[in-house]
Amino acid sequence: MSPTLTLEDVAVHYGQRLALDGVSLTVERGEIVTLLGANGSGKSTTLRAISGLVRPVRGRVVYEGRDITQAPADAIVAAGITHVPEGREIFPEFTVLENLLVGGHTVARRDVAARVDRAFELFPVLRERGGQLAGTLSGGEQQMLAIGRALMARPRLLLLDEPSLGLAPMLAAEIFRTIRRINESGVAVLLVEQNARRALRLAARAYVLETGRVAVAGASAALADDPRVRIAYLGFGRNAAPR
Amino acid sequence: MTTTALVHVVVSGLATGSIYALVAISLVIIYNATRTLNFAQGEMLMISTFVGWSAHAALRLPLPLVLVVAVAAAAGLGWLVERLIIRHAIAATHFDVLIITLGLSLVLRAAAGLVWTHDEFPFPSFFGGRPVVLGPVRVAPVSLGIIGGSLGLMLALAALFRWTRLGRAMRAVAQNQRAARLMGVSVERVYSASWVLAAVVGAIAGVLIAPVIFLSSKMGLVAINGFTAAVLGGFGSLPGAVVGGMLLGVLENLAPLWLPAGIKHSVPFLLMIAILVLRPSGMLGRVRQRKV
Repeated sequence: MSPTLTLEDVAVHYGQRLALDGVSLTVERGEIVTLLGANGSGKSTTLRAISGLVRPVRGRVVYEGRDITQAPADAIVAAGITHVPEGREIFPEFTVLENLLVGGHTVARRDVAARVDRAFELFPVLRERGGQLAGTLSGGEQQMLAIGRALMARPRLLLLDEPSLGLAPMLAAEIFRTIRRINESGVAVLLVEQNARRALRLAARAYVLETGRVAVAGASAALADDPRVRIAYLGFGRNAAPR
Repeated sequence: MTTTALVHVVVSGLATGSIYALVAISLVIIYNATRTLNFAQGEMLMISTFVGWSAHAALRLPLPLVLVVAVAAAAGLGWLVERLIIRHAIAATHFDVLIITLGLSLVLRAAAGLVWTHDEFPFPSFFGGRPVVLGPVRVAPVSLGIIGGSLGLMLALAALFRWTRLGRAMRAVAQNQRAARLMGVSVERVYSASWVLAAVVGAIAGVLIAPVIFLSSKMGLVAINGFTAAVLGGFGSLPGAVVGGMLLGVLENLAPLWLPAGIKHSVPFLLMIAILVLRPSGMLGRVRQRKV
């Protein structure tokens, strides 16, 4: 069985600037994989190249055996990949329910109600806030809405960009628990996260990006012990390493 | 000035105001989807109405079918303009696209002159000539018909935007194009649908107003007042377009009662200046918080 997602040597330019310089990675079925790296290392660009928001100048994106490198973004959603962007980008002038409904844009009409129920089940607070304008939600609720909205399309691969950004630790922990629950229902997850420690605990494998290339890759447990990763992303300087 | 005369002036103001509102709505529909101002909106309205009139003249079609022909012509024209011209300027600045639509308006007006001459033609009306008597007040049926027809269309549009998948997709694109793409919305299809829908609304406005102002290659100038209405209401707001249109229509009719008669044609511009000074975001406009 082909993996859920394969990137082969993907390169992306923003104007003159090279944002990705040959990234290759794999997400197996039902797996959680995390992308680590400093700001500007190309994590978000990798997600955008997968969801069709930017076009690679080189390389291939293969989803469940199909080449989707040049597919339009709406076809990629319909194929089963949804992307929760950094900053959530919920529709502030829509109610919570309308946000979910537009998330179900590609879903058969008769399935929409069941998808909404499923999102409410995962995030009960959204049911309480159903009629409220999404722009008035708290940051944590907006993140839940963004994830719930992305699940409306019944994805088999969920791309998450910094889901805990700006959230209090309690809320971030709740979001991470929900990501695990979503994964347990069979959805593969590719997670970009600034909290490397937490991301490594959740993910089976990790890739570390540096200036648009994969610098280190491997099982999360191994990476958590890798001195390069510890120093750069887990906050252990050489001298501060625990004895 | 008697009350009954005042009512009469207000009602006919609401009738022209309804037309301004419809034109404003059509401008706002395109603006919300594409952030483009369509300067050719009035000329597209005029061409569609002319096509309907030609069908009437050549085939003796009954009036409801004339409306259908005008709407179909508008839909085709809107689709073609977006597909053949605007789509290719997708990377151009808003200002460039604005110049393109301005050029298109000149071309369409000249083309209409070639086909139909620049004369004025009477246009058949859905509504009879005998005034409707409501107690002491007598109002022209055409005014009531225009108001009723416009309100019906506005309600239909409100339902479309609120309850249909296409309408929701259009509103999503208006708020955040990239997020809409991530929901699986084809933004290109929304562009296309917006031009078609705007052209159709314009054509209905054209068929409603043509019996009153006569059919001519110059009738597209009604778009200037439609634009003013949209600015008054707060550009981008559909309810604002309705309120702005009605207000403009009524004030334009009332002003000559107390001010010099020639003031009528200055009213839109005076109102536009006033609103831009006093409340630049319009009456119902929200101050958009754009992300930096």
